[in-house]
Amino acid sequence: MPRWLYSVIAISVGIGIGLFYGWEINPVQFVDTTPASMRADYRADYVLMIAEAFHTDQNADSAIRRLAVLGSSSPAELAAQALQTGQTIGYSSEDISMLQELTRALQAYQPAPSPMDTIQPTAAPKDSAQGESTP
Amino acid sequence: MKRFPWESIPVLAIGIGLGLFYAWMVAPVRYINTIPNTLRADFKDQYRILISASYASTHDLTRAKSRLELLGQNDPVQALSAQAQRMLAAGQPLDVVQQVARLATDLQSSIAQSPPMAVTESTLDVEPPTATRPASVVETDTPQGGPAETPTPEIINTILPLETATPRPTHTPMATVGAPFILLSTDIVCKPNLTDGLMQISVIDSRRHQMPGVEIIITWDGGEEQFFTGLKSDQPAGYADYIMQTNVTYTVRIAESGTPVPNLSAPTCTDSSGQTYLGGLHLTFQQP
Repeated sequence: MPRWLYSVIAISVGIGIGLFYGWEINPVQFVDTTPASMRADYRADYVLMIAEAFHTDQNADSAIRRLAVLGSSSPAELAAQALQTGQTIGYSSEDISMLQELTRALQAYQPAPSPMDTIQPTAAPKDSAQGESTP
Repeated sequence: MKRFPWESIPVLAIGIGLGLFYAWMVAPVRYINTIPNTLRADFKDQYRILISASYASTHDLTRAKSRLELLGQNDPVQALSAQAQRMLAAGQPLDVVQQVARLATDLQSSIAQSPPMAVTESTLDVEPPTATRPASVVETDTPQGGPAETPTPEIINTILPLETATPRPTHTPMATVGAPFILLSTDIVCKPNLTDGLMQISVIDSRRHQMPGVEIIITWDGGEEQFFTGLKSDQPAGYADYIMQTNVTYTVRIAESGTPVPNLSAPTCTDSSGQTYLGGLHLTFQQP
């Protein structure tokens, strides 16, 4: 038997042992995951909970904060995705309308202006730049 | 007998190294399609807060229960109560803590809190047929070999019994937000094995269910302190206590609303051998 064949057999056996251990004896356990990694139907239900809370408190800021854990997409996009998933898997009309309400609110959301935005720059006195000439 | 092919060992090691490089650097694992019970602890807390907020809005206890089951907790009530205590200790907004505590209480008693006051009999009269009632999250097993072998939350239309849409003939008086608490009883507790001067406070609602997360204010000449019910895991959810000092008179009131209870002081008790010791008080408040 050629010597290189020993190497091929060794690698094959090693891979086989590794796969058996990794898949059968000690498979990967998902822990410490984030809401963003959840399956689409769970994500939709997560957004539905936000929509249900929003339906009562009408607090868009709170809804946006809660949606932030679902990924980097915009809140309105996340809500629209959930709405689409909900329609696909057959949510009730009441649930769909709540998701629609949230989606519409987030699409129309305008963040409150920060205090810095509301400060109007003070116009400098016309003559102050040049100074007054004294006779 | 042929010798062992030792020269294969370095080749094997190189192969393993290449495999690890590919697995860790080129194409590391990305978690997708996970289920809620794998969430990190803080995300599970957020999930429970969300379930509570949703429940506060919909009052759908069945749905809240189903959602809590997704988190894989053996005892959701305990998990909610413990979280409410942690949130209180961390100074999180009281209204959010109360939502979590309320869900824990309702789960324990298996009675959904009253619907919003805006839902009146006339509203119920014009409701559509029961088939359009809110959906419930139920768990169904996905077929083996599917994208995940875990229960899938499926939204289905639930046909609720007819009486859910029918106005009840009688209304049970429910606790109203902001309704004043009343002092139900004040008992002197003389137990030698109890901490000296222990003031025990129990807060219950109109259905005599324990109320966690209720703020209590105790004042005395030159001092004031606030504490909350539900912070002692070995006591009922509506329990709180405070150690009174000798010869100090206290006034206790529920922070939310309630008439102050003045002139409270630790009583003097006598044990079986005739020796005196500082006894305790047990106050019970109820929200009508």
